[in-house]
Amino acid sequence: MTDVLSLRPLAAVLAAAVGIVTIVASRRSPNVREGFTVLSAVSALGIVASMVPGVLNGTTYVTDLGTFVPGVRFVLRADPLGMIFALLASLLWLITSFYSIGYMRGLDEHAQTRYFAAFAGSVSAALGVAFASNLIVLYVFYELLTVATYPLVTHDETDEARKAGRKYLAYTFGGGVAALAGTALVFWTTGTVEFSAGGIAALANADPVVARAAFALLVTGFGVKAALMPVHSWLPDAMVAPTPVSGLLHAVAVVKSGVFGIARVILDVYGPDAVGSLGVGLPLAAVAAFTIVVASIIALRQDNLKRRLAYSTVSQLSYIVLGLALLSPAALVGGLLHIPAHAFMKLTLFFCAGVIHVETHTDDISDMAGIGRRMPLTMIAFTVASLGMAGLPLVAGFVSKWYLLIGSIEAGQTVFVFVLLASGLLNIGYFWPVIYQAFFQTPEDSDAKPLIEFPIGGVRAVTDGGSKDPVAEGEQYAVDRYPSDHVAVADGESDHSAAATGDESDHDHHHGGAPAGGWERRRLGTESTWFMMAPITIAAAGAIVLGVVPQTAVFLALVQRVVADVTGVVF
Amino acid sequence: MTDALVLLVVVPIAASLFPVALGGRFERIGWFVAAAMGLVHLGLSATVAARVLEGGSISYAVGGFEPPFGIELVADGVSAPLLVLVSLSTLGVLAYARRAGPHSNAFYSELALLTAGISGVFATADVFNLYVFLEITGLATYALVASGRSPRAALASLKYLFVGTIGASLYLLGVGYLYIMTGTLNMADLTGAVASVGYTSPAILTSFGLIVTGLLVKVAVFPLHTWQPGAYAESPDTVSAYISALVSTAAAYALVRIIYAVYTTEFLDAVPLAGDALVALASVSIVVGAVLAVMQSDLKRMLAYSSVSQFGLVVAAIGLANETALVGAVVHLVGHAVMKGGLFLTVGVFATGLGVRTVEDFAGLAAKAPVSSAAFAVLAFSMVGIPPAVGFVGKWNIVVGAVEAGAWPVAAVVVVSTLLTLAYFGRVIERMYFTAPEPEADAVSTDGGNDTVEVSFGMRAVVVVSAVAAVVLGVLGSDLIAVVQPVLEVYF
Repeated sequence: MTDVLSLRPLAAVLAAAVGIVTIVASRRSPNVREGFTVLSAVSALGIVASMVPGVLNGTTYVTDLGTFVPGVRFVLRADPLGMIFALLASLLWLITSFYSIGYMRGLDEHAQTRYFAAFAGSVSAALGVAFASNLIVLYVFYELLTVATYPLVTHDETDEARKAGRKYLAYTFGGGVAALAGTALVFWTTGTVEFSAGGIAALANADPVVARAAFALLVTGFGVKAALMPVHSWLPDAMVAPTPVSGLLHAVAVVKSGVFGIARVILDVYGPDAVGSLGVGLPLAAVAAFTIVVASIIALRQDNLKRRLAYSTVSQLSYIVLGLALLSPAALVGGLLHIPAHAFMKLTLFFCAGVIHVETHTDDISDMAGIGRRMPLTMIAFTVASLGMAGLPLVAGFVSKWYLLIGSIEAGQTVFVFVLLASGLLNIGYFWPVIYQAFFQTPEDSDAKPLIEFPIGGVRAVTDGGSKDPVAEGEQYAVDRYPSDHVAVADGESDHSAAATGDESDHDHHHGGAPAGGWERRRLGTESTWFMMAPITIAAAGAIVLGVVPQTAVFLALVQRVVADVTGVVF
Repeated sequence: MTDALVLLVVVPIAASLFPVALGGRFERIGWFVAAAMGLVHLGLSATVAARVLEGGSISYAVGGFEPPFGIELVADGVSAPLLVLVSLSTLGVLAYARRAGPHSNAFYSELALLTAGISGVFATADVFNLYVFLEITGLATYALVASGRSPRAALASLKYLFVGTIGASLYLLGVGYLYIMTGTLNMADLTGAVASVGYTSPAILTSFGLIVTGLLVKVAVFPLHTWQPGAYAESPDTVSAYISALVSTAAAYALVRIIYAVYTTEFLDAVPLAGDALVALASVSIVVGAVLAVMQSDLKRMLAYSSVSQFGLVVAAIGLANETALVGAVVHLVGHAVMKGGLFLTVGVFATGLGVRTVEDFAGLAAKAPVSSAAFAVLAFSMVGIPPAVGFVGKWNIVVGAVEAGAWPVAAVVVVSTLLTLAYFGRVIERMYFTAPEPEADAVSTDGGNDTVEVSFGMRAVVVVSAVAAVVLGVLGSDLIAVVQPVLEVYF
């Protein structure tokens, strides 16, 4: 472990931040603007990637910007754990940039400059979170990330979007407040907030009550963005944002900054040993297990595809938290590896949902029967990614889940093995109907979906003559119809925003679902623009690469290095 | 060179005569006199600051009478940055006032007088002299508030006059008690004198109660804030910005000096009730001020109540009586001045250029005035305490201070105040950026139509500079702390 002074961590953060300026400056010419998005994404990725070999060899790149507040220096450090998140965020940002261009232009969205600028800002903040060397710097970028993402959540400028934005700010700043309080406690007890592999030594000897309180505050604070139950409900609502945002930020950068914060707290602030001896790991694991199961069950009943994916995210994020909370080396590997694994798979899924929306304006699963004919490649990618989500081999999800299973047994907590297995089944439960009906049914000939269309517990037998329609409109549970983006405008549900009226002709013909006469059949690759299809293919391919050859893909090596530094166990 | 210290007060007083004296001959001379005064003031405060940075504090005996008998002016690591802040605020407000007005010569005389008063408060080391400067500040402010020329402004000014005078009188009464018991008025001299009388002597306790209550009126902490929202909201935008940035700040600074230099922490140890009462009052102020701010529809009133809440933070930190919190209080004083002054000016830009004054009107403002809106957003988030802007630096120190003092409820209130601040700024930002403007209701104004003025470059520039300053100050927060800390650590 050698520290090398280098400007590269700072440069990576700035590469994205400078993107904001250039994007805003070139707002009059969309092609140049998008060029700058791609340019800053490429340069951020290039800078991050250039540090990978060094980090794998034990070098840590450090940028020291001097004292920030007394006793705390503003230092950016590219250590292995930070590299996992930074590499992931910058790599997927590049992929998402192309997808965003296709998506935003495909829908002729308003305020695209604000969108791309805020996107660059979000990634810049996410890179800052990754490279933060202490809790204060982490907090700085964590809060900036919230601010930068807010315009993306409220992008639609509808009442619904504003409501989601308010909820988002309230939840995440509330979490930030808890994290800040926890940070202050740690600073007060130990006089430092510096991350060090294996934990701050002074914290292990601190007053256990204070240490536990600080842990609870920090984990609750970061847990908001990690969507731990019961503070998860901002995430499904935030799905009102454009799909690339849901994909990169609400499945990767933002939510994982929360998970990453928890990882820093467990690995580098407290250290697994102190977490174990304080007895705070198990409660956290229990919360995570609860979230895994309950979120999956809720997902079963979501008809809106993006909301179903959101609940799936809530559930999958807790895999990572569970792995971290179990503290055994294999569980740590599994949890940390699930950060990239879930990212690739969930990004693919969101990309698929987005391209379906752009091409067919369909958002609800019940309208998607037979859509495999119209969008074959999309649905193949969707299938691959959902199999990975369920943890089937040859896709990324299997590897991380395997380590998690080993880890729970190693930790002597076999109950979590059952949680993980049950969750796999539930995953199949909520993804299979989508896939099955996409390929094997047609709009005219599709089965009812009992979980979505009927009340829980089945339809009550009616004894008074049967006048009541079993699924009468009013009796139905509140369908979570959250039509994303412009379907709301097309439905006439909300006010027209000034800039959004340009594409009326685009989607006034139907409100989602198959057009009259069923889906037309398209050949592979002709279903949409390559701006969107290429990112889908690459993300799906990434998920497979991570599943088939995890040892050669960089992430597992980084994860093993992190775990070796923290626990001393070499895999 | 120590003459610069006294000139900081003398130059503005002298300058205040010119606009009135020459006003008969030159109609618009006021601004030029004030601008010249501002530049000279900046030169002087920079000289003082440079001296302080070099060799610690400097002192000046007024009229050659040596302290403790004569009046002493002192500049140290705390007052020097604040004096620079006064100069810069004056210049910023003047750049804004060039187009926005008020244009009367009387206004510039009053402004110069206010500058003199505030500079005096920051510079003096004598408790009676402090009273004089507080009164100069107060009188100038009453006049400035009334320069809004509306009946409501006159009423607000009258209210401020009554309440402010009561506050000043309480302060003077307290100083009287101190003088009777100790026979001195010099702060440094009082430190030992108060100790020898005994901290728990009834007269000393009475003096403490009177002085602190008097100053809290000026600081405008709940429930002594009643004068403040009216005064901020009804006065011209230029005035709101200036007084929100400096007047309460001066009073809070006086509170720091009196409590720590005159009464000292030993007093607070001997009379725990004093600190506890301050902290309790301040905590209530933080919450109530924010709640009241959320309820306002007028932007300036909202910002005014926000000040009640923010000064609650400062006073809480003063009452906590530990070094970290006190450093936080001073940093937050400076930060708040930049942020709140900037916010008032930004609201002024919107009001002048687009005629919008209420939260309702703010819908879709970002599209019409992108630069000013961005400045508003930056300042608002800074006030919320989003790092790395200056709002965070102050808040962090206060939180850590509260934790160090073991004052858990205060720590909780301070931390949660982030969310309260977000509550009132969030809804404004949401309207500015993510709400389509209401369709124009055509010409049903009852007040004789639209009196909007084109926004000048100077006005926009000041707004942007304040937003940038809020962020830069945050980044340089540790340097500010390095200047302030040596002075404050002497108290502990």
